[in-house]
Amino acid sequence: MYKAVIIGGSAGSFQVITRILHSLPPTFPLPVLLSLHRLKHVRSGFVEALSIKSGIPVVEPFDKDQIKPGRAYLAPANYHMFIELGNKIALSTEEPVNHSRPSIDLSFVTAAQVYRDKLVGIILSGANRDGAYGLKKVKDLGGLTIVQDPLECQVKTMTEASMKLTKVDHVYSTNEIIKFLQSIK
Amino acid sequence: MIRFEIGIVDTRNVLKAILDAYGYDFKDYALTSLKRRIELFVANEGLRDIDTLISRLQQGKDYFERFLQSITPETTEMFRDPSLWRNLRDHILPDITKGTTRPKIWLAGFDSGEQLYSLAIILKEMNLLTEVQLYASYISDFTLEKIKNGTADIKQLEVNEANYSRLEGKGSFSDYYKTANGTVTLDNQLIQGVNFVKQTPAFDQGPGGVKMVLFRNQTIYFNQLLTDRSVNAMYNALVPGGYLVLGIKESLENTNSNNKFTVVNESEQIYKKKTL
Repeated sequence: MYKAVIIGGSAGSFQVITRILHSLPPTFPLPVLLSLHRLKHVRSGFVEALSIKSGIPVVEPFDKDQIKPGRAYLAPANYHMFIELGNKIALSTEEPVNHSRPSIDLSFVTAAQVYRDKLVGIILSGANRDGAYGLKKVKDLGGLTIVQDPLECQVKTMTEASMKLTKVDHVYSTNEIIKFLQSIK
Repeated sequence: MIRFEIGIVDTRNVLKAILDAYGYDFKDYALTSLKRRIELFVANEGLRDIDTLISRLQQGKDYFERFLQSITPETTEMFRDPSLWRNLRDHILPDITKGTTRPKIWLAGFDSGEQLYSLAIILKEMNLLTEVQLYASYISDFTLEKIKNGTADIKQLEVNEANYSRLEGKGSFSDYYKTANGTVTLDNQLIQGVNFVKQTPAFDQGPGGVKMVLFRNQTIYFNQLLTDRSVNAMYNALVPGGYLVLGIKESLENTNSNNKFTVVNESEQIYKKKTL
């Protein structure tokens, strides 16, 4: 019944993402959109690092790439990643939002507008407020909202900001996030 | 994060008003980013609603020019992707200037000056600045004025410096600008010989016989139709064997011109027009 999963994370989220990707079966039925803060001038290395243990292919998409199930799409360094009508990736070099490019808010807002109540939005550990507004839009448009349990987060600013702005559906540990995703058929 | 949001119908109404009043057709721009640019403009201008925007746009050309400047995204950083600029300096520019008198180079994207100054600095450091003919497209008269004055954003200085040092330029980035009263002014002597081309969203005003086109991070703002049409216009402008440079996340595979070019450098998205 869901059409996509979108995950936002910043400081302290790398290991969580790695564990989540590792846990996904190759038959995972949805695309996984990853909007993660990263060093803007380091183009290579990140997608390779995430790919090593991932159960599904991880790609840094080109603009206008068609979004396919069973793949993870990592927002490229120094670009915003939007989801465009027609289930395509759209990239942008517009100015950073909240000092961030990629902006988690922008990825979440555009994904929410396309997938509406068929979207799962997940916010992980992070050191700023980016993503809080985006998660609110996911909720407002009927999607399912999950934050990583702040008690478990290396840095809890992002998850706490999200919970302050939105009555989220679930506060989950990494293990619970994994269990939830694995239950999606 | 902006809080002002408009719908698709609102967006279409704005585009229709622009088309009717000024003949500019933005219908083939990518909807998500265009809608966002309009939202940002409305928020920054402190407008109440979309109808206010539409009536202001209809009232004056100056207001429209400012709108144009605002909705065409700026690159905001010089030498974005330093490895691409290194590649141009070390491989492509020596190749196109070899054996050709004053080859034409076209910056076909709607640049806000960053790319033009980046290219001019590299050419100057290669002692080639007067050995090429530079053409630069612009869409808004305000942007053109900004480019000609060399106005740059002081907040970007740190990024520009860092990119220049990754580029391993010959001098120091500070050779090319002055600061006064909190503003940065680039040395506009660098762009004295540039031919500026007023561009329309149809891309039909460029020069011909071009040896290299820089068209980076432009098609990301277009829908499929305009992407195909604009890349085709670049193809027509290029001489056989001429180079097309896209943004590093734009691939010709996502256009209908893929079979007309060969890949020169995949990670930098540098292509060469096939010789028939």
